[in-house]
Amino acid sequence: MGSDVEVITPKVEKQKSGLVNTLSRVMKYSGVRLLSLFITVVIGIYLTIMIANMGGYVDQMMKAAIQENVTMQISRNPAFKNMDSATKTQLTQERIQSEIERLDLDQPLVIRSGRFLKNALTLNLGRSLFLSSNSGSRNVKTIILERLPYTLLLMGTSQLILFVSTLFLALSLSRKYGSFVDKLVIALSPTSSVPPWFYGIFFILLFAAVLKILPFGGVIDAPVPKDFLGRALSVGKHLILPASSLILASFFLSIYNWRTFFLIYSSEDYVETAKAKGLPSRDIERRYILRPTLPTIITSFALLLITIWTGAIITETVFQWPGLGRITYQAIGLYDTPVIVGTTIIYAYLLAITVFLLDFIYALVDPRVKIGTGGN
Amino acid sequence: MKRNTLMLLVGMVIIASMVLAACQPTPAPATEAPVVEEPVVEEPTMAPEEPEEPVVEEPTAEPTPEPVRTTRHGGWLDEIVISVVDSDSAITQIQAGAIDIFAAGLSSDALPEIEAAGLEYAQSNGLYYELTFNTYGPIFDQSTGKVNPFSESKAREALNWLIDRDYINREVYNGGALAKFWSIVTNMPDYTKVAETVRRLEAKYAYNPETAKAQMDEVMAGIEGVTIEDGKYMFGGEQVQLIFLIRNDSDKTRIPIGDYVANQLESIGFAVDRQYKTSSEASPIWVGGNVADGLWHLYTGAWSATIIDRDEGDNFEFYDTPQSAYGFSSTWQSFDSALGTPYGDLADKLAYNKFDTIEERNAALAEMLEMALTESFHVWIVDGKNFTPYREGVQVTYDLAAGVDGSQIWPYTIRLADQEGGQLKWGAPDLFVDPWNPIAGSNWAFDQAIGRATWGEAYMYDPHTGLIWPQRFDRAEITIKEGLPVGKTLDWVDLSFEPEIVVPEDAIVDWDAENQAFITAAEKFPDGTTALVKSVVYYPADLFETVKWHDGSPLDLGDFIYAWIIALDMGKEASPIYDEAYAPNAEAILANYKGFKILSENPLTIEAYSDTYQTDAEIDITTMWPSFSYGEAPWHILANAARADEAGELAFSADKADAKSTDTTSVEWFSQIGGPSLEILSTWLDTSIEEGYIPYADVLSAYITPEEAAARYENAKAFFAEYGHYNIGTGPYILSEVYLTEKVGTLIPFADHPDLSDKWARFGAPKVAAVELDGEGSVVLGGEFSFDVMVTFEGEAYPADEIKEVKGLLYDATGQIVKVIDGVLVEDGYYTITVPADVAASMEAGASKIEAVVVPYTVAIPSFVAFEFVTVK
Repeated sequence: MGSDVEVITPKVEKQKSGLVNTLSRVMKYSGVRLLSLFITVVIGIYLTIMIANMGGYVDQMMKAAIQENVTMQISRNPAFKNMDSATKTQLTQERIQSEIERLDLDQPLVIRSGRFLKNALTLNLGRSLFLSSNSGSRNVKTIILERLPYTLLLMGTSQLILFVSTLFLALSLSRKYGSFVDKLVIALSPTSSVPPWFYGIFFILLFAAVLKILPFGGVIDAPVPKDFLGRALSVGKHLILPASSLILASFFLSIYNWRTFFLIYSSEDYVETAKAKGLPSRDIERRYILRPTLPTIITSFALLLITIWTGAIITETVFQWPGLGRITYQAIGLYDTPVIVGTTIIYAYLLAITVFLLDFIYALVDPRVKIGTGGN
Repeated sequence: MKRNTLMLLVGMVIIASMVLAACQPTPAPATEAPVVEEPVVEEPTMAPEEPEEPVVEEPTAEPTPEPVRTTRHGGWLDEIVISVVDSDSAITQIQAGAIDIFAAGLSSDALPEIEAAGLEYAQSNGLYYELTFNTYGPIFDQSTGKVNPFSESKAREALNWLIDRDYINREVYNGGALAKFWSIVTNMPDYTKVAETVRRLEAKYAYNPETAKAQMDEVMAGIEGVTIEDGKYMFGGEQVQLIFLIRNDSDKTRIPIGDYVANQLESIGFAVDRQYKTSSEASPIWVGGNVADGLWHLYTGAWSATIIDRDEGDNFEFYDTPQSAYGFSSTWQSFDSALGTPYGDLADKLAYNKFDTIEERNAALAEMLEMALTESFHVWIVDGKNFTPYREGVQVTYDLAAGVDGSQIWPYTIRLADQEGGQLKWGAPDLFVDPWNPIAGSNWAFDQAIGRATWGEAYMYDPHTGLIWPQRFDRAEITIKEGLPVGKTLDWVDLSFEPEIVVPEDAIVDWDAENQAFITAAEKFPDGTTALVKSVVYYPADLFETVKWHDGSPLDLGDFIYAWIIALDMGKEASPIYDEAYAPNAEAILANYKGFKILSENPLTIEAYSDTYQTDAEIDITTMWPSFSYGEAPWHILANAARADEAGELAFSADKADAKSTDTTSVEWFSQIGGPSLEILSTWLDTSIEEGYIPYADVLSAYITPEEAAARYENAKAFFAEYGHYNIGTGPYILSEVYLTEKVGTLIPFADHPDLSDKWARFGAPKVAAVELDGEGSVVLGGEFSFDVMVTFEGEAYPADEIKEVKGLLYDATGQIVKVIDGVLVEDGYYTITVPADVAASMEAGASKIEAVVVPYTVAIPSFVAFEFVTVK
């Protein structure tokens, strides 16, 4: 027993020491990585704030717009019609000043940008300047959360179908290199140069205007069906065209990309060796092709999951789909900085977290990758 | 190899077909962004006015025909389903049956498509377009040192000849617009009143590039340092360059207008720097910037008029003088038209009707029109028109200025042809954009259009004349201080004049927010006061029995009084619901307000005094109906919202909600139709039931009993339980379903509406007169000669008592108007215009013309028709 102890102790200590080293390495790596990602997020958000405000020029634009709007509102208000011009001018100026103060335009952008940044980083998304949520609230969080389900529905459905279908079709196609179907896909892959909203308009013309079998847009029939099943089916019906547009716009190119990707891995020496050894093709695919490509597939999938949070600006507009993409676009058009920053910070955090987690996932799925060793 | 080539070809063909297909209708990248330069004002406007003969009683303009009676109450339809539709696909969607009407005006360029699709349409005012000038100069001596010819009025005037308004109308608006020379709207009341002047000036300023070039040469030659070389204007060795801000957003028609004007300017010798900018990019330069900086010379402006404005006299002060509400802008400050100048003084007189007679006022307007073209602070281009398409089988009365969605009357008249009931699918560009509340809620046209179907009002705007008709009252008496140019048209109002109108001491003039009490005239004006207008409105005896709110609560006097109090209370700093952003509205109300008295509570009779007046007596009434700028509401909803406001949970205005919100607490903008407001309001209703709450109890306890209050609160809760919102009005429809995110709504008829559905059926199509003019094609000058004027509507003779005037403008061979001749009635629909011998003798021989102008009472739009003939000596 004693000799056993003597023999085992250095091993345990070595193992413990290795574990400590590994933990220490991982913690150090995680800390540095998180810090660098945080700094990246801070820089990204601050740049977004400055770009959204055009370095301060937006202040001038907004002040001029306020002057115009208030002046027009007052000049058209019958209550002011017979008021003498001096009093009218005074009231107009008071109203303009009140609006300028409401929007904090009386403070320099430097101060406001610091507040925007702090609020964003602490996920205190604040209140919008102009946009209201559909329920009437100006809380940016409410505005975003209200639109999120429909964006997730549209983007989630389309991107997941696109990802899964193209991945498996590509894998299948990589086995049939040079076949008619393979060449057809290659021939059709340039169709992805057409943006999804082009397909959207085409589909609307065909299926809504001509065939009259699907709706022009929106998310649900009007009037809204009374029962849950009816509503679900109605939403599903409205989902078909926008989702199909998004899928079709990337479908062939995506297959082409994955198929080429799989083909490259299929021609590796170890795959040829496996084939020469007479291993079944299914085993070869699973062990020798899919496994080494897993980090890339996971990365692609993870980024896809983030993408579905961003919405599709023009496609949502074409289909009157009340998603995040449209609200972001409206916010940009109105220079509604809190909403722009709100949507951006969520995306930035999601991206940073994903990038951070992917490093660990790579290490888990690929034995060649070790965290914290020379940057791998 | 062949197969690969084939595949490649297939791929290319598919892409090409996609691109071609998609290139047809261009998608709008964003349709909802508020367009800052064209804010839509939806509230029923008290502006229309028309100076009339002060004491002349004119026949009532009853817009017949005899309505078909019905037993149905409220709206004609069983259901109106509202959804959001992209304007680019609106016509296609109507054709496909997805919607029945697209209730937002499409611009003139869509008219051919509407007609090709075989759709019906309503026509209304659209944007009107102009050029605004930087008048600083002639040298930007404090900045660029460049030349600005538009500092000279003659250079601006020359542009009237340089641009062909008819060409722009044809090429840009498919002929659907009207040429425009002034800020007043073409073919609307003021335009018609001075028809002789406008026709003479339109002829004078008709397209004539040679005149434009000659006058511009004269101006440029007068600017020190400017030379004219090979027809080009040179300064400092360089061609004079004009910076032209061309708007490239909104309806985008200002791009071709801007390009055309730039081409014309280049054709006479300028270089033009075309800067295409959006509203927000251009605004800091032309509105917010300093004209002395020399950053611009011209700008493509556009404005809108969504009411039939019966007195546009204030337009000249607004658009052309530093006294304008735009006086904060250096652009307006640099206009040479301040008070003390002939232009500024005349504009001021027109703005505030500083005249004793209508003739004096119209003469001033005619003079102003001439000066406006001479000075040309703006060069006006076209009055655009909007077109609201709907499918065959839909019937709706629309407002000539505001169209369908902007009209008050649409919910009362929209129906399926010859059918009671049925469903109508209403498409709009957006819906539920901002929270709905009557005091400071959504101002979006899309929201207001639907809201108006649910809200009532004491009167109804005549969609064809801009006058008003009683809807909830019987009649009114208006007393005007002698010497003011006020007239009347309709029988329901009695107009009289008195040398002095003394405000009684017990009239209620103001609100004491601190002590929660009325302020009487005796308290506010210890030395007594007078008013310019006294209005007495008589309501029917059964008003409080027949008119009910959507939740079943009967309308009562408490609604009237509460509405009056809160409209002032919110603007008083001592009030617990003070709203800084709202305060100017309260100040505006009080600026000319002289008090009211309840002469009788049941039947209700309200007497009111004011120092503000319109030239139409009909519009001078004060009804005190419980409606506000953004809708109608009963006291029991507003009172509980006010309690939530006081508690810091809700705010009526967005400004106050923002001001009261902090990083940790959020105050919601009050919405009657959705969001957190509903739960907050429900809680306050419960509290009010428990407490037996009566708002402004010191005053309103006289009008509201605790039992009545409790019953109302319960009614509101029951309404909320059924419909899920608190938008409670007295209008012909109830907002039945609200889906805020999905942007879908449903209206159902209000069965307890006091009026039969056909109450306003007499307002059918606008009775724009069809006019034929005939006479001898060749006339020997020397003796008198006549022309026949046939006036019809839909093939029937136009009744003489619906025609205000028929007159003829006689032009001689020089194109000048030599005489304005009144038409003589022969019989209904038939008039003659006779040229006296002495006038004929004075005419130049050659190709002459007579133009008949027919002005009906029943519609604001006059009819013009011309007849050309030859005169020989």
